Parts: sequence; structure tokens; C-alpha cells
Amino acid sequence: MFAWTGCLLPLVLSAGIFGDDIASGRIRMVVTEPIHLWELYLYRFLGLSLQGAVHLLTAGAVILILHRLTGRGGIGHLAVWLLASWLIFNAWTALSASVSVVARRDQNAMVVLLATIAVMFPLYMLMLFFQDSLGTKVYHEIVRYAGPPVELLVKMGRGKCSLPGCVASVAHSFALIALYGAAGILLLNKREFTYVAD
Amino acid sequence: MNSGESGNVAVIECREVTKVYKGAVGRRGMPVCALAGVSLRVGGGTIIGLIGPNGAGKTTLLSLIAGLILPTGGAISVCDHPPRSLEARRSLGYVPESPAFLPRYSARAVLKHHAALHGLSKAGISEETERLLAELRLEEYADRAVGGFSQGMRQRLALAVALLDHPRLLLLDEPSNGLDPIGVIELRRVLTGVRQSGATVIISSHRLGELEKLTSKYVFLHQGRIVTFGGETPVEQTARLRIEFLPGSPGIEEEVLASYRPLEKSDTRLVVGVGGIEDVPNIVSSLAKAGAHIVGVALEEQDIEQTFVRLCRERRAFAACTCAGWGPVRRSS
Repeated sequence: MFAWTGCLLPLVLSAGIFGDDIASGRIRMVVTEPIHLWELYLYRFLGLSLQGAVHLLTAGAVILILHRLTGRGGIGHLAVWLLASWLIFNAWTALSASVSVVARRDQNAMVVLLATIAVMFPLYMLMLFFQDSLGTKVYHEIVRYAGPPVELLVKMGRGKCSLPGCVASVAHSFALIALYGAAGILLLNKREFTYVAD
Repeated sequence: MNSGESGNVAVIECREVTKVYKGAVGRRGMPVCALAGVSLRVGGGTIIGLIGPNGAGKTTLLSLIAGLILPTGGAISVCDHPPRSLEARRSLGYVPESPAFLPRYSARAVLKHHAALHGLSKAGISEETERLLAELRLEEYADRAVGGFSQGMRQRLALAVALLDHPRLLLLDEPSNGLDPIGVIELRRVLTGVRQSGATVIISSHRLGELEKLTSKYVFLHQGRIVTFGGETPVEQTARLRIEFLPGSPGIEEEVLASYRPLEKSDTRLVVGVGGIEDVPNIVSSLAKAGAHIVGVALEEQDIEQTFVRLCRERRAFAACTCAGWGPVRRSS
């Protein structure tokens, strides 16, 4: 649930959320209406967030039903996992929607994926060969707190953090979502919506 | 600098507006200068034709006024507000050259969606939607998916969207594209109504014959600059006054130059661009007061097509387009 609905689904759902409209010219009909660009971003983000919530609640209900029917697995942390999945869904959605302002649909998810690999692969190598170096630790902290909070939310979902720690994780996730969203709004404000040579 | 005024309150004010498209990868990296120092002031309750050859910068100018793109230099205000401000967007309606909508939406749904963006109440949304469907003769197609609409139908729907909430400024980029003759007549009727309501309409079009039926005011763009015609922008001159006189009258040309731009000059002939027959007495009396021995006066009426062709010919040797601070740039045509 965390990996699929939380991390992969947002990339699929948000691909081209702005890029499609920009490429087709539909955005020109919208941005000339009396609406702030941040509102445009926010409404689209909230629409995606709602879709994510519906997916997660459905998945949660299916897990619950299967558990009741088969008696297999544990559902002790289901609610926390649902919250963690929804938060990571929103973080990836905000990041991907912001990329969508400058990337076409066919490149949207790929840009996010490649950027993630570009950040994670060096971290993996550093952890492998220079685990105790200060540089590795600093880089790890940057990725942990500035990147989508996968590690922190997985820890929360597994019930390995205290209540204040969980609250801090939730607050941190919201702060990151706001940060990624602000970057998207900034890009939208700087963006030009046409290039016609006539 | 090109300057001029139409009406008292400026609906659009452009001051030394420059637009350079930075060279993108795959476009030989050369910046393209689309507009170079364009200044324009347009008042309320008027229709202005934005004309010029392909690549003159018409769509760029409309896009800048609509806030779709950002100027490289200079300043633009729409109803005294920056083009991307909420106040400016409340005042303007924009019809792009190729309007696009979500294909699964019906025309009624599109109008309701855009009316909601205007912040209208539920009753206001329904009222505006039905008014515009009727005004643009779209009732028959109101519940059909826009994806199946022809270019002309999309143009009509885009115009309906632009007319939502009675804008003070309407920007139309080739609005008669794909319209059948009845559609063109309907468009003319609608735009005349908009002008009568006090709004300003700027139309970029290559259909000069159609423009001529709507307005006598034009802004002529050529290689990113406004071509002044008779010293005014927007221009209203559509006639040439030919004056024959005896040579040796010093100061005559200066008299005429003060108010009108000479189109041809020789020892015995002066041709100036004028708005119409009403300008003739002023010019002739000025020349007579200056001591000119006038032997003949002839007014040659010109339609906009002839004016357009002549201006294009006159501007053929126009200086290379340069945009301050950008060094050599490629022309946009």
C-alpha cells in the first residue's frame, strides 16, 4: 500500500497535470480568467490528494475485509500506515505536479524517477563505502529531511517512533508538501504559456 | 517611440515593450526579437485592428497584454493594472488563435466552468451561460462534447467564454478562423454590440476586408515595431492627399510635417496620409498661410488592403530589428 499507492500511483496520476494543458493550449483559456495561479495549483493538487485518499481508503477496506475473512496478517498499524501512505502520496504528488509545470507528460514521471535515482544512487554508494564519513552523514540527513520523507514515514508506519516523533513526522511531511507546492507555484508564475512566431 | 491615444481612459498602455524569445536548443541558439520598443495607448469603447505581415509580432503583443508571456523590457498595464494581476484578468477576455477545451466537456459545461472561475453565484453562472449560448447561437450544440466541434464552433465557444462577465477589454487572435459566412456576420454583430457597451476590442486578423467592416482604426506591426502612419497610433488614416504646388516655397513641408507624415516629397508634389476628406481644409489652409502656391489637390481614398500593401512595401527596407541589450537577434519572420 505504501509503495504502490503512496509512491508509484502519484507519479501516474499527476503526470501531465499541467504539462498536458500547457502543450494543448488549454491553459491559455484558464490563466486569463480571474484566478490566482496558486489557486489553480492548489485545486489540482487537492483533486489528486482526494483521489489518493479514496484509493487508500478502498485499499484499507479491502485489507480489512481480507483480514476478517482469512484471519491472516496484522492490522494493528493499519490506520498509521494509511496516514503515512497518504502523506507520502501527497509529497510525491506535489513534487511531480511541480515538475509537470516544466516537463511534458511523457517526461514527467521519468524526470522524477531519474532525479530520485540520481540522488539515491550516490547515497547508496556512500553508505556502502564511506558509512562513517561526515560527508555521508550530512548527505543522508539532507536526503532524509529535504527529499520525500519515505524513511521517516516507514518508521512511523512500523510503529518505531514515539507519539511526539510521529507528530513531528506528520508536520515535517506537511512542510515538505508545502515546499514542493510552493516551488510549483513559483514555476507556474514564471512560466510563459505560449510561443508562437506570428 | 510610437505613441498615441484613443479615448480618455487608457484600457491598454504599453511603454517601450520589447520581447525577445531566447534561443532554445534545436533553434540554432539564436534569440528571436518579436517586439522592439512598442509603445501604445488604447482607450475605451473602440475596436482596433492589429495588422501586419506574418511574423510581425501580433500574437506576441496580444499574448503580452493577456499576461500569457512576460516582456523582456518595458511595461504593460491593462486598466491600470499589470497584465498578470487579478484585476487585469477580471477586465479582459481573450480568444486565442486555436482555442482548446477539455474534449469531453459540453459547451454548456465549459461555459459554466469558466463562469465559476469568474466567481459568479450559482444563479449568475446559469444566467451568463444561457445568455452567451443564445448570443453566440450555440444553444443547439450546448450539450454536445466540445471534442466533436469544428474549428468555427470552437471559435464561437471561445468568444462566448471571453465575453463572460462583460469584459472591458476583448483580445481576439484571428477570431474568424474557420467561421462560415453566417458566423462572420454573427461575429461582427456581437463585436459591434461589445463596442457599444463601452468595451475595447483588439482584433488581430489577416482578413482585412472583414476588419474594415468593423473599424477604421489600425495598429500596423512590422518586424516587431509599430509603424506610425500620420503620427498617430492607432492609425486612422486610410487616404492619401496629393498636393501639387509651385516650387520655391520654403517651410511648406515643415507646416505639413508638424501634423501629418509625408509619404512622398518632391519639388512640386507632396503626398500625405490623412484620415479622410475632413482633414483636407486644415492642410490646404496651413499650406496657403505658409505661402504655398497650390495648383492642385487630390484625395485618393484607400481601403485597408491597399494601405497594408503600401505600408509593407514602404517598410521593405526597414532597419534590422535590434533589441537593446540583446546584441544581434534573428527577426521573427
